[in-house]
Amino acid sequence: MRHLDNHQLATAIAGLELEAGVEEHLTSCMSCRRQVQETRELIARRRELLADDEPDWQRQRHEILLRLPAISAPRRKRSSRWLRPMLAAAAILLVVVGLGLMRRHAPNGGQEAPEVAVEQILADVDAVLDDDTIPGFESIDPGLANLEKMYTNGAS
Amino acid sequence: MTPTRSDLPQGDEDLVARAQAGEGEAFGQLVERHQRRVWLVCRQYLGPDEAEAAAQDTLVKAFTKIRAFNQRAAFTTWLTRIAINTCLDQLRRWGREGLKAEDSEAENGAGVVEQVADDGADPEARVLQRQAVARLASCEEKLPARQREIFRLRFYAGMELEEIADALEVHVGTVKTQLHRAVHRLRGELGAYR
Repeated sequence: MRHLDNHQLATAIAGLELEAGVEEHLTSCMSCRRQVQETRELIARRRELLADDEPDWQRQRHEILLRLPAISAPRRKRSSRWLRPMLAAAAILLVVVGLGLMRRHAPNGGQEAPEVAVEQILADVDAVLDDDTIPGFESIDPGLANLEKMYTNGAS
Repeated sequence: MTPTRSDLPQGDEDLVARAQAGEGEAFGQLVERHQRRVWLVCRQYLGPDEAEAAAQDTLVKAFTKIRAFNQRAAFTTWLTRIAINTCLDQLRRWGREGLKAEDSEAENGAGVVEQVADDGADPEARVLQRQAVARLASCEEKLPARQREIFRLRFYAGMELEEIADALEVHVGTVKTQLHRAVHRLRGELGAYR
């Protein structure tokens, strides 16, 4: 085989895939091998030169860590602003439906006892909703008071 | 033997997950693992001092954005992208084409010549060697920006072809083509072709 052409030499220097014949020639031809080697050595020498500028890694690490903002745990997803009113509405709806069923199936026709139960349950629900110490219920949506009033009025 | 991606340090995923959960210690370990690589990448775009500042900025940015990292790419690729973008932003800020690192070296070619290590060769050979390295540095400046970037990331930052392709978001075939053209052109500029 003839000596490698410039294209093949560049391929070899770049470390790209060589055709089988080219690789074989490179193994046996000292002249072509030397050409590849010389350019690679030149590149390696320049790489060493660039590496001479390497900073002190420990100092760099220290400086980086000092620059990091305060670490905080990942924030929990904020619950929807509609969650609380919806929960309140669902609770009230549940109570109303439950009471309706109780009345329908009560042995005395559902006249006396369920009325007491309704008042009691609604009072309990109000108490829970008014309790701002329950986690997640700290901030009161201003619209909620009106909503509660509306549902309360509707149920009485 | 040529190093492959599988030779890269294992276990980044675990450290990344811990860093995402707010564990500073885990991020410290990631810095330790990758700071040299980040600096090497930055050094291909900027001068020594600027490269160090850019490397620090890169790692601080990585920390602040780590929760957005979805692990679809390797952590090192993600980090390299941040490093490259940080350097390019810096260069844009300076409002100039080319690499500041080499501007200073190109402006003062003797500086490069003098910095070449003395390896005990005879004085004449040493002078020739120094001149050759200085010429290589100067010839790199004449390469188109993309070819120069790929050539340096491959040979001076030690990145694999696939890593370069991922970091620059180009096809690996493009990297190979550009690298080949860069080498071919450099040899021409260096007078290696007779």
